Amino acid sequence: MNCERMREQIPEALAGRLDKAAREALVEHLETCAGCRTEVAELNAAWRGLESLKAGMDVAPDTSAKLRFQEMMAAYQAGMAAGQPAVRHRRVAWFPAQPVWQLAAAAGLLVGGILFGRYLPAGGGNPEMAQLRAQVENLHQMVALSMLQQQSPSARMRGVTYSEKIAQPDPLVLDALLQAVNHDSNVNVRLSAVDALQKFAADPEVARAMVTSIPAQGSPLVQISLVDMLVQWNARGVAPELARISKDMQMDEMVRQRAQWALHKMETQR
Amino acid sequence: MQDELVMREVREGDVAKLEVLFDRHYAGVLRYFQYLTSNRTLSEDLAQEVFFRILKYRHTYRPDANFRAWLYQIARNVHAGQMSKQKPEVALPEEAREIRGTAVPPDREFQKKQEAMILRRALAAMPGEKREVLIMSRFLDLKYEEIASVLECEVGTVKQRVYRAMRDLSDRFFALSGERAS
Repeated sequence: MNCERMREQIPEALAGRLDKAAREALVEHLETCAGCRTEVAELNAAWRGLESLKAGMDVAPDTSAKLRFQEMMAAYQAGMAAGQPAVRHRRVAWFPAQPVWQLAAAAGLLVGGILFGRYLPAGGGNPEMAQLRAQVENLHQMVALSMLQQQSPSARMRGVTYSEKIAQPDPLVLDALLQAVNHDSNVNVRLSAVDALQKFAADPEVARAMVTSIPAQGSPLVQISLVDMLVQWNARGVAPELARISKDMQMDEMVRQRAQWALHKMETQR
Repeated sequence: MQDELVMREVREGDVAKLEVLFDRHYAGVLRYFQYLTSNRTLSEDLAQEVFFRILKYRHTYRPDANFRAWLYQIARNVHAGQMSKQKPEVALPEEAREIRGTAVPPDREFQKKQEAMILRRALAAMPGEKREVLIMSRFLDLKYEEIASVLECEVGTVKQRVYRAMRDLSDRFFALSGERAS
């Protein structure tokens, strides 16, 4: 066997995957070929180096990855469920088969509907309407969650916008927005997610999550936007954390000043 | 239960089982993207996209196919899609830039660290297709048969490509470190 064919086996030999016969043939060849011995020595140095590189670069996935996966699964399954017809439509026995009579029946139903709508008491509870609203709400939640998982920043941005349409977002949406604020690679998505958290003003835990996020942020723009939101909420519960931020010399100067201003502002809003 | 059996159940509608495959393979897929892009955040996005695609295209899984090979085929497509959206560049890790031009006494620990950094630079500077084949064989421990399925080529071709990639890496490594093995 020529040197080229022998050399192609070196990586497998170094990985310990070469079968016995091939390994013996390679060893026999190396005993008589100085060029291939040098080749083994050089490839071995790089091969072993890759091993230490592998150990150095292996970082365990963080726990948020699993959460994100589960959110994606939940959104997908909700989407699939929404796409399935709940009940098979059976043909209604009394409904006319002839198009002429179908048209007449439709016109009758329309007139009836208008009259019913006109004389229906204003503000009257309509369970079907409420159910429809709930379905639309669920759909918004599902779309928002699904889009927040997208790879493209513009799609994630649309996800944030969708989440703002939800009247009463559930905890999954809140988690997804906080996840976006803390981990999204795109600054614009993070800024929009901060804005979308507006409707959670009543939840002191959200204020706490936001103030915790400030030191971890890489962008002063996002940090300032978080501080401003806390001022808007008058979140005095997080004043000690803001005071720490205002004195933290690791923080951007503008952010420190903003935190200082926030403390003053909340003090005057008492 | 074997990956292939789990995936068959996912394919047949038991989509919740995908979590089993996520637990087994997310770290590997994340590692694959990290070696290719040197960008942790982007790699996390791409790894999530892989599992989303598995879910979405589960009907296309052939029951007799090797799951890992199919998984990395999807990962490869996700990476190719990402590359077509942005300029192909691999960022050097910060430490690799810092090491240039330093003249510290070479104790063993420092030397090992320096070698690892040079190797990382050499790897980052390699053409994408060579780097990819090395990542699959060395870092993900895929078998040559699996790599052949991912790359849609013969096992013999994989053998050649891995050798040539190793040769290329070794040349770059010794050129950067200014020495050769004796």
